[in-house]
Amino acid sequence: MKKVGTPDYTVSDKLKTHAAALGTAAKEMILPLNITTHYPRERKRQPDCFRGIMLFDPERCISCFQCSFVCPANAIWMKEAPSGRYYPTLDHGKCIYCHFCVDTCPGGALRTTKIHDVAFKTMEEMFTTTEEMVEPPTIIREDETVVDYVIDKEDLSLKRTKEVDELIPDVPESKGVPMVSVCVDRGSCIACKICDQICESGAVSSVKDEAAMTVKMSIDAEKCTGCGLCVKECSMQILRLVRK
Amino acid sequence: MMKMAAETIVGEAEWEVKIPKKKFKDKLFFENLRDVVIDTKMCSRCLTCVSICPSGLIVNEADNVDFPNYDTKCLDCGACVRVCPRYDYQPKSGLGDYIEFTAGKSKRFKGQDGAMGTEFIMSAIDMGLIDRGLFVDRNELWQTDVFHARNPDQLHRLPLGGTKYVFANVIPELKKAVMLSKVGVGVVGTPCMVSGVRKLQEAFPVFKEKVKIVVGLFCTENFHYDEVSKYLEEKGVDFSKLVKTDIMKGKFVATMTDKEVKFKVSQLSSILPTGCNVCTDFTAVESDVSVGSVGSAPGFSTTVVRTEVAKKVWDYIKEKGNVEVGEGKIPELDYLIGHKKAREANIPGYEPKKEEGEGAGE
Repeated sequence: MKKVGTPDYTVSDKLKTHAAALGTAAKEMILPLNITTHYPRERKRQPDCFRGIMLFDPERCISCFQCSFVCPANAIWMKEAPSGRYYPTLDHGKCIYCHFCVDTCPGGALRTTKIHDVAFKTMEEMFTTTEEMVEPPTIIREDETVVDYVIDKEDLSLKRTKEVDELIPDVPESKGVPMVSVCVDRGSCIACKICDQICESGAVSSVKDEAAMTVKMSIDAEKCTGCGLCVKECSMQILRLVRK
Repeated sequence: MMKMAAETIVGEAEWEVKIPKKKFKDKLFFENLRDVVIDTKMCSRCLTCVSICPSGLIVNEADNVDFPNYDTKCLDCGACVRVCPRYDYQPKSGLGDYIEFTAGKSKRFKGQDGAMGTEFIMSAIDMGLIDRGLFVDRNELWQTDVFHARNPDQLHRLPLGGTKYVFANVIPELKKAVMLSKVGVGVVGTPCMVSGVRKLQEAFPVFKEKVKIVVGLFCTENFHYDEVSKYLEEKGVDFSKLVKTDIMKGKFVATMTDKEVKFKVSQLSSILPTGCNVCTDFTAVESDVSVGSVGSAPGFSTTVVRTEVAKKVWDYIKEKGNVEVGEGKIPELDYLIGHKKAREANIPGYEPKKEEGEGAGE
């Protein structure tokens, strides 16, 4: 059997540890180590890639529905605008802020912000229309200080700076995963030219040869933005999006 | 896998599609179809064109197949005339080629007779040949609906078997099934639908690859729901009590729970669809296996195994002991085959070739 004995401290050891404890107590009394941010008077500095409320740019949207397809929470619904185009609407009651939509958008029409502190009074209000997604939501800002978390060795400390953080970061445009549309079963192509009509980048072309009674179809991989509009519309479902 | 596909396909993303010749050069393809098939009352309403039309705007109206606003909406791709069995009509008749002429009675399923159509499709699912089978189901009012079966258990709670004598939306559903299926699809249909499926397979490899087994039904004619239901109600048929309908020895027999209504089939000619008037195919010559009531003892289905695929399924059914094999009597089909062959006279501008006189039983 092994017996655990009391540590063998000398008098000087005991004095040293007691002095260190008194020192810490004195330091905490004058400069307390407090890692709580005093929101809303202070605001923590979030990274530029923070997944907050999304903004939408209709100019860049090509109505490809990719955002609504990829949304795991089914929070994005496409609604028809007066122009006949389809634009996303977002239900904040469902959104889990995964930002798959931002990542998947081939045109970079969705962008992230650091805004996360929006209050909705009703469930209906949480359903934001396309128009409401264009401008950032109005929030009341009382913060004058930005708090940075500084980690040195094992200690965490706060660094407070007198400034107002910009909540809409200027991030480089998302390039996404370059995809290209390809036809996987050319024999089953009807040559209905729907893909040609729907393509916005002019990548798909169909040329009818009246004499030979053939239609020449082609997809220009260079021009194709990989939006998937043709894939969605193909009546024979023979187009696929693949990585470039 | 997707990446592999990209590497093989990207870079040579050009292909050519042949489009068919127009009979009327200055008109759209749908106008060609309308002038050649629909307006001449040749259309069987097999709905193959409805299934393939990329705009999805060809519709089956109460009285015929139509394409509203075709002048602006038709994409002029020619898919409809490529697949229409009646556009370039080559009437089939007789008994056709077969490997085995027999009769069977399914031990698993109950139908009008031997339920061999159901048995063939379900056995093909059991074999792993297909993962989806299309059946025509009906409701209490005998309105038809197409049912996608993926498991034999699904069939026990449905009144699937039995002749309906009413057209169904089989081929548009077949296209959906082909798009969804990973292995293959099996389908049961009337001779005009079988011809439609074969046309689709000829034109589009995706159908050739996916549609593995086509069960044809013996068919003298088939009616449209609105017309037949009105007619039968006038004759005193109560749909809520109707158990089965059949054509026996020239008489239409509607069996109800309490009584039977019988009348001569010839009386139905007033509501005979014009498409059936030019149909000469009784036995579904182009199918993999044809099934019907005529030509075997009551309770059995006459089974005409035509292709190797169907033969494999038939051997599987026998091996599993799911069928009671009966005897098929070819001469019993003679009358109806001849009856339908006589309709060749109704086809505008058709002159029968001399060799084609292969009657049944030869």
